[in-house]
Amino acid sequence: MEIDLSPEDFEFRQEVRDFLKENTAKPGADYSQWRMDYFKKAAAKGGWDVPKWPVEFGGPGWSPTQHYIWDQETVTASLPWDMPFGIGMLAPILMNYGSKEQIDRFLPDIRERNVNWCQGYSEPGAGSDLASLKTKAVLSDDGTHYTVTGTKVWTTMAHMADWMFCLTRTDDTGIKQEGITFLLIPMKQDGIEVTPIITLGGAHSVNMVHITEVKVPVENRIGEEGKGWTYAKGLLQHERTGLAGISRSIVALENLKRQAQSVTRGNRTLMDDPAFRSKVAELEIDLLAVEFTELRSLAAAASGDDPGPESSILKLKGTEIQQRIQKLTVEAGGIYSAAWGVPVGHKFARSGMQGYLGGRANTIYGGASEVQKDVIAKNVLGLKRS
Amino acid sequence: MNFDISEEQQLLQQSVERFVNENYDLATRRKLVDSPQGYSDDNWSQMAELGWLALSFDESDGGFGGNQIDTMIVMEQFGRGLVVEPYFANIVLGGGIMKRSSNLELKTSLLPGIITGDVRLTLAHAEEQSRFDLDDVVTTAREDGDHYVLNGKKSMVPNAATATHVIVSARTGGGQQDKDGIALLLIDSGDLDGNHFPTVDGGRASELSLDNVRVPAERIIGDFNLLATAAHDAVLALSAEALGCMEVLYKSTVDYTQEREQFDHPLSDFQVVQHRMVDMFMEYEQCKSLLYRATLEAVQDAPTAVRTSHALKHLIGKSASFIGENAVQLHGGMGMTEELAIGHYFKRLLVIESQFGNTDYHLTQFAA
Ligand SMILES: Cc1cc2nc3c(=O)[nH]c(=O)nc-3n(C[C@H](O)[C@H](O)[C@H](O)COP(=O)(O)OP(=O)(O)OC[C@H]3O[C@@H](n4cnc5c(N)ncnc54)[C@H](O)[C@@H]3O)c2cc1C
Repeated sequence: MEIDLSPEDFEFRQEVRDFLKENTAKPGADYSQWRMDYFKKAAAKGGWDVPKWPVEFGGPGWSPTQHYIWDQETVTASLPWDMPFGIGMLAPILMNYGSKEQIDRFLPDIRERNVNWCQGYSEPGAGSDLASLKTKAVLSDDGTHYTVTGTKVWTTMAHMADWMFCLTRTDDTGIKQEGITFLLIPMKQDGIEVTPIITLGGAHSVNMVHITEVKVPVENRIGEEGKGWTYAKGLLQHERTGLAGISRSIVALENLKRQAQSVTRGNRTLMDDPAFRSKVAELEIDLLAVEFTELRSLAAAASGDDPGPESSILKLKGTEIQQRIQKLTVEAGGIYSAAWGVPVGHKFARSGMQGYLGGRANTIYGGASEVQKDVIAKNVLGLKRS
Repeated sequence: MNFDISEEQQLLQQSVERFVNENYDLATRRKLVDSPQGYSDDNWSQMAELGWLALSFDESDGGFGGNQIDTMIVMEQFGRGLVVEPYFANIVLGGGIMKRSSNLELKTSLLPGIITGDVRLTLAHAEEQSRFDLDDVVTTAREDGDHYVLNGKKSMVPNAATATHVIVSARTGGGQQDKDGIALLLIDSGDLDGNHFPTVDGGRASELSLDNVRVPAERIIGDFNLLATAAHDAVLALSAEALGCMEVLYKSTVDYTQEREQFDHPLSDFQVVQHRMVDMFMEYEQCKSLLYRATLEAVQDAPTAVRTSHALKHLIGKSASFIGENAVQLHGGMGMTEELAIGHYFKRLLVIESQFGNTDYHLTQFAA
């Protein structure tokens, strides 16, 4: 056991800090220009634009400690806007199951952030029970293309996406995990209709996507027909560990403390309130533990072991902690948290309520908490259910 | 021992329930919330005609001589319908203060208008530094001949944009947190600068600035005790409203999980889902018991009444979070949408949690 950073790690951390400092957006700079420049410069550092990618696909090949340092340093830096769908979700699937042609065709655009992807998995009838999805893909007689018809729902950023990676049903005769096929579908075409869904915070990020007789060439199928479930399951694991957001929560808790210090109660502040203070302390304790849980899981992954039991609890604990911080932020905002869309009273109150409402989804998407616990019961504890 | 409400009260309950069923489907409510005023004048007149605005006033003042139980009945049904008309600000807060005022002249001049709905009141007590302490007041009322001159800022005043008058707490003397030296004054809303805005639950609130506002001395309504009594009533009324919201949330969740199927089963087949809903139901029932207890104690003016109201608001806050968050969770993605009613009840509960003292505040008061 060894937890101190080595001299090389300190050097790396300094290098990261310098890089992030040099590449912060200058006031008044054109945002999209800066964004593109940032990713170019990060690429020039040797894969810093795709930290999680393996070396053979251009990733930096960092040690777990280096990943940890990067995560810590980047939460507080203002990095350009980036979506996880291409870089974090589709890319690993392409690398593992895509053909050479598909990798050459799609990976460079994903890496350069030229193309936006969305994830078309969930359907009105297939949420937690994803394998019951029904969007139909029928192969043409000449074997050149599929005709796809169905409805996807909760598709984040579908309204801004150029492509969707999509689970479709090509066979419904066997068990439902079989007969699922993984297709890549361009979004900007007839037969694709995107309808916004407004969520609790008043935001538009998720959508309903109606797909009507859209022709998809077989070249856009990943791997074999009927094996999509296996490919997607691997990807869900990636998605889940990425959702824990531990470093972000550590920073969020520090922010919360500062915010609570700005809330006066008579001649003291909210941080002097014993009840509030204990809740902050409880969060801090949980974070101390879960930060090491994450490191244990990173270390296991680096040594080539299967993601151990540690990783299965990361999403659950991580999202629970996020929600507790969000709730406390609303509490700290007091009466002002009720004001909607206007800055009133405490400065943080407005975004606090928005964050809390939106954050309720954290225990629903990427596997609802109840379902995650089923998975742990079965796969980790080896329990059976009658 | 008798927990039944009287026949008259049953009729009241049925009539409010009918009003909610007829006028408050989600689409209609959404229209009201999005309208410039934020509620319906027609509904307001109807409430006056049905006698609901008069309920809690003495018969000698033109009312029906009702008490906190009547208000509880109305507010609980309003909670079930997410009613946005300003009954709470006008009748519970404003009316509750005016009917107890020792300034009889002012009282007799205002009550008839309150009962017809033409006079619309609200209460401005909160300030940025005060958090939930009613006695932490820095807004000043300086005596100047037969007037008071008011200066300060008041926060999150409910329905101030549509009020004809605002009751303001201000300091005529004493230090920042002294109970002595706090006065309640009646101000024409035209004399106030307001920043009006919507609230997350579909309501309306305002930040008010008082900049050398001159108020005649005969507009003094009362002192801190009157404010504290109003806050006690407010806690009871908001808790009743919350109970109505919680009932809808737990029952809709029980319904939804029986309809929604995943893994070839209704969600309600899963034991963890069943137990979660049993917990929601138990929290609801516990809140109901404590609401009855606190309300009866208030009606009887029991020595423990205030302390029990702290217990109530604490329990309501805790249970509202639990029931609200789990209703959303068990609805999955659907629970996150503006389209479903679930989220709207959840948001109303969130706001109630912070009105007149949040969950921690009331626990501290109770334990003190
Ligand atoms: C903000 C947001 C963004 C999303 N983005 C995307 C996206 O980009 N692409 C995409 O494909 N999908 C996306 N989703 C969909 C998400 O993956 C689903 O919402 C999730 O899988 C749950 O499915 P559901 O909403 O149908 O809930 P349901 O499956 O109906 O479940 C409802 C609730 O029931 C309970 N439950 C369900 N099954 C069980 C069980 N076996 N045991 C115990 N309890 C159970 C859980 O509490 C669950 O929350 C998003 C969802 C949200 C809210």
